[in-house]
Amino acid sequence: MLDAIDRELLKTVADLEELPKGAYNIRKNGRLLVRNVSANIDIESLEDNKGIVVTIKPKTVNESVHIPVILSQAGLYDTVFNRFVIGDEADVTIIAGCGIHCGGLDPEGHAGIHEFHVGKGAKVRYVEKHYAAGPGRGKRILNPATKVFLAEGAQAEMELTQIGGVDEAERTNEAVLGPKSLLVVTERVLTEGTQRAVSRNVLTLSGPGSRANMVSRSVIKGDSVQNFYATLEALAPCRGHIECDAIIMDRGKNETLPSLKALHPDAELTHEASIGKIASDQLTKLMSLGLTYEEAVNRIIQGFLR
Amino acid sequence: MLELIDLSYVVTTEENGNGAGRRKIIDGISYNFEQGRFYAITGPNGSGKTTLAKLVMGINPVTSGTIRFEGRDITSLPITERARAGIAYSFQHPARFKGITFRDLLAMAAGTEVEEQLLALLRRVGICSLSFMDKAVDAQLSGGEIKKIELATTIARNPKLAIYDEPDTGIDLWTIKPMVRLLKREQQERGTTTIVVSHNRAFLEAADVILMINNGHIVYEGDLAGAKPLLTDLSACTYRRCLLEDQDVGCYR
Ligand SMILES: Nc1ncnc2c1ncn2[C@@H]1O[C@H](COP(=O)(O)OP(=O)(O)OP(=O)(O)O)[C@@H](O)[C@H]1O
Ligand SMILES: [Mg+2]
Repeated sequence: MLDAIDRELLKTVADLEELPKGAYNIRKNGRLLVRNVSANIDIESLEDNKGIVVTIKPKTVNESVHIPVILSQAGLYDTVFNRFVIGDEADVTIIAGCGIHCGGLDPEGHAGIHEFHVGKGAKVRYVEKHYAAGPGRGKRILNPATKVFLAEGAQAEMELTQIGGVDEAERTNEAVLGPKSLLVVTERVLTEGTQRAVSRNVLTLSGPGSRANMVSRSVIKGDSVQNFYATLEALAPCRGHIECDAIIMDRGKNETLPSLKALHPDAELTHEASIGKIASDQLTKLMSLGLTYEEAVNRIIQGFLR
Repeated sequence: MLELIDLSYVVTTEENGNGAGRRKIIDGISYNFEQGRFYAITGPNGSGKTTLAKLVMGINPVTSGTIRFEGRDITSLPITERARAGIAYSFQHPARFKGITFRDLLAMAAGTEVEEQLLALLRRVGICSLSFMDKAVDAQLSGGEIKKIELATTIARNPKLAIYDEPDTGIDLWTIKPMVRLLKREQQERGTTTIVVSHNRAFLEAADVILMINNGHIVYEGDLAGAKPLLTDLSACTYRRCLLEDQDVGCYR
């Protein structure tokens, strides 16, 4: 059922060697490949197989859902709408990811639109990796979008990673935070060659006592371009922070625009942003431990994207 | 084991927009550091101590002169090669990283990731808190913490020549004596040739030889007793002269 390319993609984007335990839904070339549900986690297809609805019962703890997508059909642009409804006081991990294998000249792409409704006091960790490979020259395109709605006291941790090989990526993340909720978004993107990646983020802190932390780490190699935009909008007494760092190597270009909007006098919003080459004191330190220049660069980048 | 022969380091400076000027930071230093001894280098701020240490590690390029290590000319060797030859340097202002932990640095320095060996290193350098190992070496570390990490990574190299650039800055009163003992023990048990740049009396007392640097020259070599007159002399204000034309901004000393 899974061929060698499928296995390699699944291993890279979802760390899966075999079919996972618990609930899962693997989508290949726009169609359902295999699915499993559990007592607490239900997965249903939307009409016309346009996507899935994952419903997690209240108080479900220590369970995970894998929902990887793989693409290996030239010329296909697969758009999928996934909705996650996470019951009150549940504590779960969702592992998504998209792997593209491009063997031909035609472009291949995927737009995953993910909506999260996180119930009162529930916790979710969402891990998403994007990766493309293959000998073909067709463009690999990924345009993911996430929308997060946090109820009172809900917590979401989003780890969004684009590992490599993606020619064009345009990501949007939106979130609305209810009272006392917490959102942590960590985005890591590496681009090289002539790749382009844009990330747009709008986090709205609408509930009193809500907290948001947006961390972005970009590594821009070759002639690639990455732009990062993030807005924190505060409508209540709340705390928010944006930290965005870009390391430029070779001839890469970057635009970073963190922006803060306080529409409530008790909002505390901060940001720090930096763009630059690898700091020379970091390089000299690692070289003085016996690493070569190239080894030092790799270690620093590896840590930075960790 | 480390021989400096007529070593100079010159930088070009912008002088009030009158084009480029030249400033000798290290001015023809010749000195022979002997195998297995403990040296303390002291001298006023800005006298060239760090610059000299960085010339030895290969971080600053030599303008003229020669550096020999164990009889081999290393003047133009890159940092990596010098490190592999057995020279280690603890930075005065250690680098901070994102996403690199103390464990990572220690493993790179020691060339092993084996837990037992890393724990043995912690015991050797006297760091008792294990949770410290997985701390990120980032901007959140305190000044004293990062200096302890810096020192540990230098010792983890098992160097033939260890250079510590003001290892005691930011270190609490309770840790300075143990730190001096640690470096002495490394010197005595492993024969590590040790150079400590410091203004701290505890290190000056522990040293076999004291070198005093001023204006890029070695102005004294000998024991602590002999250094005392110069120590008081150099502490005289050197700022006044350069500030004469300026308005008096006050003296820090
Ligand atoms: N690359 C450089 N370009 C210009 N000036 C430099 C450069 N490197 C060092 N200097 C200058 O050389 C002088 C000596 O610096 P150095 O850091 O070696 O002093 P130090 O003796 O270590 O002082 P401290 O006790 O404050 O650590 C300083 O005035 C410094 O500004
Ligand atoms: Mg110094």
